[in-house]
Amino acid sequence: MIATMLSQFIAAACGVVLASAASAEMTRLDDQSLAAVSGQGGIYLSGDISINELGGPVDNSYFGRCEETTKKCGARFAYQLRENGGWMVLDDIRGNFAFEGLTLRVRSINSGFGGDGELFDRDVLELGLPDVVRFNDVRFKIAASSTPRPTDPGFQQTDIFSVQMRGDVIMEGNLLVFPESHP
Amino acid sequence: MAALKAVRTVIGSGPLAATLVLALMFSSLARAELHDLSEAELSGIEGAGIGVVLEDSKFSHGTDQPGPNGEQARIFRIGGIKSTDGRDVDITVNHLYISGSGSDYGQNLSPVNLGRLINPYRIDVVDGNAIGVADKAVLEFAAPALMSPGQGYDCLSSSAVAGSGTCANRPKTDDFVGERPDIGLQMNLAVGDDRSANINIHAASAVIDGSYLRLWGDNERRQMVGQFRLNFYSPEVSINACELDGSECGSRILLRDFVLELAIGNELQPVFFDVDGTGNFVIEVASIRRPGFGEIGADGQRASSNPEAWDFYEDYYTNSEYRSNLFIGNFSVGERDFGSARVEGMLIQHLEIRTRDLAP
Repeated sequence: MIATMLSQFIAAACGVVLASAASAEMTRLDDQSLAAVSGQGGIYLSGDISINELGGPVDNSYFGRCEETTKKCGARFAYQLRENGGWMVLDDIRGNFAFEGLTLRVRSINSGFGGDGELFDRDVLELGLPDVVRFNDVRFKIAASSTPRPTDPGFQQTDIFSVQMRGDVIMEGNLLVFPESHP
Repeated sequence: MAALKAVRTVIGSGPLAATLVLALMFSSLARAELHDLSEAELSGIEGAGIGVVLEDSKFSHGTDQPGPNGEQARIFRIGGIKSTDGRDVDITVNHLYISGSGSDYGQNLSPVNLGRLINPYRIDVVDGNAIGVADKAVLEFAAPALMSPGQGYDCLSSSAVAGSGTCANRPKTDDFVGERPDIGLQMNLAVGDDRSANINIHAASAVIDGSYLRLWGDNERRQMVGQFRLNFYSPEVSINACELDGSECGSRILLRDFVLELAIGNELQPVFFDVDGTGNFVIEVASIRRPGFGEIGADGQRASSNPEAWDFYEDYYTNSEYRSNLFIGNFSVGERDFGSARVEGMLIQHLEIRTRDLAP
């Protein structure tokens, strides 16, 4: 869905760039018609995102489809904390989460916030949280490993713990993001 | 074609990539003129980090019971741990919440602001020279900064007014939700088939002002290093245990006026993070260097020592920023009152934590 949105967005952007070359006839809008046009600020997003729910693209001795019980089907993300050292791993990441009504807009704040708004008096990027996010069997593991890939020679891994989430999470409020210099 | 290939890799769609490249080519036709910035202009530019504030926020997750309409059970479960006799250990979080203060131990959730617009949570790359980490760019995640005592609010009092303390976040008032959340969780622990009672932990009107995590890279050890400070203030932290069905609860452990100021790592002894060759996680705080022969005089006085070395150790042992504190205004269990407790000025001189795999 995101890819479709992205393509629409890029197509729209290209449309703007190429607009000058378009040969369609344009007419002026009079004041009355213009007054009826209202600019819409912001984006409303709904999403249903699955990560390796059935299995990832890799199929070898270690990774495979989720129905193969001897293999792992989640995504793996390894990072190194020291040159030539071992690897921290976020392993077996999979599941599905869905939300409706995530909003994104630019908002000008000059009042409220217990008096802070007036002092602040700037624009912020406002991310309206979707109230409820539904997790369907989202799981991942935190592990430490001797090699980045489980198929590398000398692979040794200690799973530290795993997390599993299922159900509705209430997430209300607005996340406000803005540039801030070091005090 | 190289550009097209690169775009193809990123977007992964033929016609889309082509339109993007077309758009890029058109952009080169733009006539805007670019000027060099002079040194003076450049020096006036200041990099800014990102400030984050949560407005009217409420967070709640998890219960093991299906909802009243029979919907899917809500679960937040931590597993994958084994006991020494090989049984599975499972921690189930029944409820986890962040709410406005006055939530009555998470029963009545209400919105709260997290962070202030004029003193927000920050993600920033800061100049190490300004915080005692020489010639490094330091990635910093920070809670609202503490204020000077003349301007801030008392960290514990729920009726604090300006000028009463050092905390930035304000308590709830009649016409303002405040910036001090109630946070809490209910969880239980199972070893094999034995499941413990529910353990409830609640902190009312909590403030973490002045906390931060700083991360950077060490040149000599070629390793990620950091510095962590957690300030936690709450007028009431309570812990109790209840039967799984909630029918009966044990005595409540109450910690009133709870203050924790924990410092792990400092600019002289940062924390090193590593994974060793066998796949175990290692956290280390290195010892401070020992004085060289004759650097510190036999009587320990500055006059008989190398002044530079003496000042170094004097600063290390007297700097309150390097030390951790714990104050509990009043400690009680049920009817019994144990009075106040304080552990003050703890200095971590050496620390090494290494996970071990107990699986056979």
